[in-house]
Amino acid sequence: MSVTAPHVVCAADELPPGARRIVEIDGRSIGVFNVDGDLFAINNACPHRGAPLCEGTIEGTMLPSEPHSYVYGLHNRMIRCPWHGWEIELATGRPRFNDRPGRARVYPVAVQDGQVVVRL
Amino acid sequence: MTTAQVTNAQQDGPEAALRTIDCDVHPHLPKGLRTLGPYLPVAWRRRLLGGLSETSWATEVYASQLALPKNDMYINPVGSMRRDAFPEDGSVPGSDPELMVRQLLDGGGVDRAVLIGGNVFGIGALVDPDAAAAIATAYNRWLREVWLAHDRRFRGALVVAPQDAQLAAEEIDRAGDEPGIVEVFLPLMNTLMGDRHYYPIYAAAERHGLPITLHPNSVDGIYARAAQLAGGVPTYYVEWHTALTQVFQANVISLTCHGVFERFPGMKVVIAEGGIAWLPDVMWRLDKDWEALRDEVPWVKRKPSEYILDHVRFTTQPLPEPSRPEQLRAMLEIVDAGRTLVYSSDYPHWDFDAPGTTIARLPQPMRERIRGGNAIELYGERLA
Repeated sequence: MSVTAPHVVCAADELPPGARRIVEIDGRSIGVFNVDGDLFAINNACPHRGAPLCEGTIEGTMLPSEPHSYVYGLHNRMIRCPWHGWEIELATGRPRFNDRPGRARVYPVAVQDGQVVVRL
Repeated sequence: MTTAQVTNAQQDGPEAALRTIDCDVHPHLPKGLRTLGPYLPVAWRRRLLGGLSETSWATEVYASQLALPKNDMYINPVGSMRRDAFPEDGSVPGSDPELMVRQLLDGGGVDRAVLIGGNVFGIGALVDPDAAAAIATAYNRWLREVWLAHDRRFRGALVVAPQDAQLAAEEIDRAGDEPGIVEVFLPLMNTLMGDRHYYPIYAAAERHGLPITLHPNSVDGIYARAAQLAGGVPTYYVEWHTALTQVFQANVISLTCHGVFERFPGMKVVIAEGGIAWLPDVMWRLDKDWEALRDEVPWVKRKPSEYILDHVRFTTQPLPEPSRPEQLRAMLEIVDAGRTLVYSSDYPHWDFDAPGTTIARLPQPMRERIRGGNAIELYGERLA
């Protein structure tokens, strides 16, 4: 699949760490996040039931662990769906710790010439 | 009341025929029990809302005023509520009728939403039967004034307190025929529904043509008077939440074996948010046992499963999500879903089933029945 023209989301300083923007690109609703300086762009539809995933909270998660022990990890690498609480990994769009098929599409996103740019 | 009659009634109004009926939606009191102050008689306001009004050293150590019983023990890591359903002022989801209209009714294309009060699920655990009954009545007045008057698509479940069946029957007689009321919501306690304790409630509901609705009680297995869970006390929310269906299994078995549906032939029971996947086991096991053991309960004149499918209705949410869709189809066929299942979203709870995506997963021959046809048959002209 060929990479289409870059889509400018906003100026880089309009998306500081902790900020997000939900934008419409080519008819798709896409969430663009700056998480602690790292950029992510992910389709705004949960692979479970199509909920507006990008309105969810950025969180870490409990890693798979030994019984009766908790190990927190992946701090701010997950987004939790606002409807049913599914945890989706920002970088891959996958529900990392359950075995359901399906994922939210993710897109390359970078700062170019002072602007946040997403490629579909 | 038949489907055709309701459809005809609709033709007189400005709306098209009813299509999507959501049978489990939760309004919430924005300030908890305090919201009911204006709806309580002065003596009960003093008794229930007296004492300290603010948090203080005393409230940190002992309760100094009543709180509505709820799950204070099992912590849901997702937070129990749909996170996009919080009103702008930050109050509890389900406390703003206008937001519910926008998100669920307009947003989801829901033609009628049956409201079951989220704060009163647990009143069966209250130790004082008079307090429980006073709270139920105050809630019903609030529901009517704040919700049923707000939008003509809202319908209400009239809550009654189970502790004193006579008081509950009086509440059904007082308000059961008020506009907008379509069913009686019966929070449970630790007495199974076949017990004759409840019969005045069943008689009143039958007299008014109202189904009796059950819902997880929020307090199951937590308070002494609440319905208890089988086998012991769960540790985790996920354990507790999954085990809640035990209460419905126990009550369906009890109702059937006590011949309640023989005694009250017009009675309908709606099990909201109770699931369906346990039903084949209960029906098959009961039928098999009954074939040999009917001598003990000779008033059970037909196969137990026939009473269940004739008298009990189930809401869809949380619809099982097996990875192979044909397994869901088989399940729906076993429970005769084309007759027994009614759509529900459970808005605004965390395990909400949106109308569009949920209904699309239902097999075609029964889809329209579950979307609205079965509910129209169940509630009749009260939906019109």
